[in-house]
Amino acid sequence: MVLKVKPTAAAAMLALVTVVGHAENTIDTLDRYVTFGGFGTLGVVHSDYSQADFIANVVQPRGVEFRSWSATPDSDLGAQAKVTLTDSLSGVLQVLSREDANGQWKPTVEWANLQYQVSADLKVRVGRMVLPTYQYSDTQYVGYSLPWVRIPIEIAYTDAGLHSDGLDVLYRVKTGSLTQNLQLQWGRTMVDLPGVEFTSAPATVAVFSDTLQYGDASLRLVYQKYSSSGNPSVQLRVTGAGLTYDPGAWFVTADSNYSQDKFFGDLFAWYVSAGVRLGHVSPYAIYSTTHAQSVGTSGLRALGNEHTVTAGVRWDFAKNLDTKLQLQQVTIDSVDDPASFADLSPRVRVGDKANVLSLTLDFVF
Amino acid sequence: MAVADVRAEELVVIVNRAAPPLSKEQIADLYLGRTDDFTPIDQVVGSEIYVEFYKKVTGRDSAQIKAIWSRLVFTDRGVAPKQLPNSAAVKKAVAANPKSVGYIEKSAVDSSIKVVLAVD
Repeated sequence: MVLKVKPTAAAAMLALVTVVGHAENTIDTLDRYVTFGGFGTLGVVHSDYSQADFIANVVQPRGVEFRSWSATPDSDLGAQAKVTLTDSLSGVLQVLSREDANGQWKPTVEWANLQYQVSADLKVRVGRMVLPTYQYSDTQYVGYSLPWVRIPIEIAYTDAGLHSDGLDVLYRVKTGSLTQNLQLQWGRTMVDLPGVEFTSAPATVAVFSDTLQYGDASLRLVYQKYSSSGNPSVQLRVTGAGLTYDPGAWFVTADSNYSQDKFFGDLFAWYVSAGVRLGHVSPYAIYSTTHAQSVGTSGLRALGNEHTVTAGVRWDFAKNLDTKLQLQQVTIDSVDDPASFADLSPRVRVGDKANVLSLTLDFVF
Repeated sequence: MAVADVRAEELVVIVNRAAPPLSKEQIADLYLGRTDDFTPIDQVVGSEIYVEFYKKVTGRDSAQIKAIWSRLVFTDRGVAPKQLPNSAAVKKAVAANPKSVGYIEKSAVDSSIKVVLAVD
């Protein structure tokens, strides 16, 4: 059974939760039990590459064309409502509007679940959750929460699933100063890639992750299994490891994953990034890459291959607002669907370089 | 409000009288949403005491704190610390809840709460 939560159903659920909350008569003031929040990004991107569109996310069907500016890759708007019923039961609904696989801005429900706190260290969620496949993946559209304009696309190249409808178990284990956050997520997902019909079949996705936090250092290990019964069937396994050290005045962060699938073959992606915080200004640099490690039954060679050098700066110029300027050079290492591009012309060549300039304004409330 | 005159050496972190002591690292973890054994209570975002507390105890400024809590809030993994308008309100809340932690001016300390960290 597909546990697909429709926006109307999710809204009804939250409305019900609100009513029940009132009925329990535990409410002093409404704002103590219902909280609203939102986020968004206004962005423009310019590319000097003439043979393909630059995209910021693998599901986007189109991007920035040659020598033009586009607001499509990064702009988005999200809103969230959280309802706290009792000390242990709450519900959340988050809706996001950004360009989807069909080239439309129709709002989608990203999060819609009920959370039950079983004990101080154990939480169970039922409903829709965003997949935690790699570092920052579950807040990748909350631009304000990122040090960069966007997550390096290479790390997310094989991550077609956006969210899953099912069950999520969060368990925290404390050992002295070390905290482990274990997460087990299981559910159904609907993948919708532009022009790739076989991935629009429903799939089962299971993710297990362990985030080890020791002061300002964190290590994240993840294993995700994705099974689609479509034709051809996809049995994608993603194994990843990420490391972040952020004492406040500067940060380093790196993430990697190895994806395995019979049809697509094996792929290895990683990035490393560092930045410093000089008052309200935070310059950063990123090196990111994805390269195929084997050829699958699809026969596609070197799927996704590219590498990117990025430099940028974040400026926190006002409360709850930041602006970022980012310059990146993407080098195409294969003509078989390099990760950052869509709408490739037959004249794409290995070694081609695209210089991409991005300017964004992020806000959160 | 006296908040406007806060100097660095006048800031203390307080807990309920019945609560065990907390280290600076434990306090930082609570206010950065890494642990939730205690309920952290904030002063007004952007106020001098707020800015001083986060700078001295977590090494971060207001924008970094907002970014960190945005990651937790928009994945529903945490609720940002409740803001109270002044030290008297923080003291009252901490005195009423054995699982809460707050920060106030040193001059506001009295026997209703316990100081666990003096921030200089």
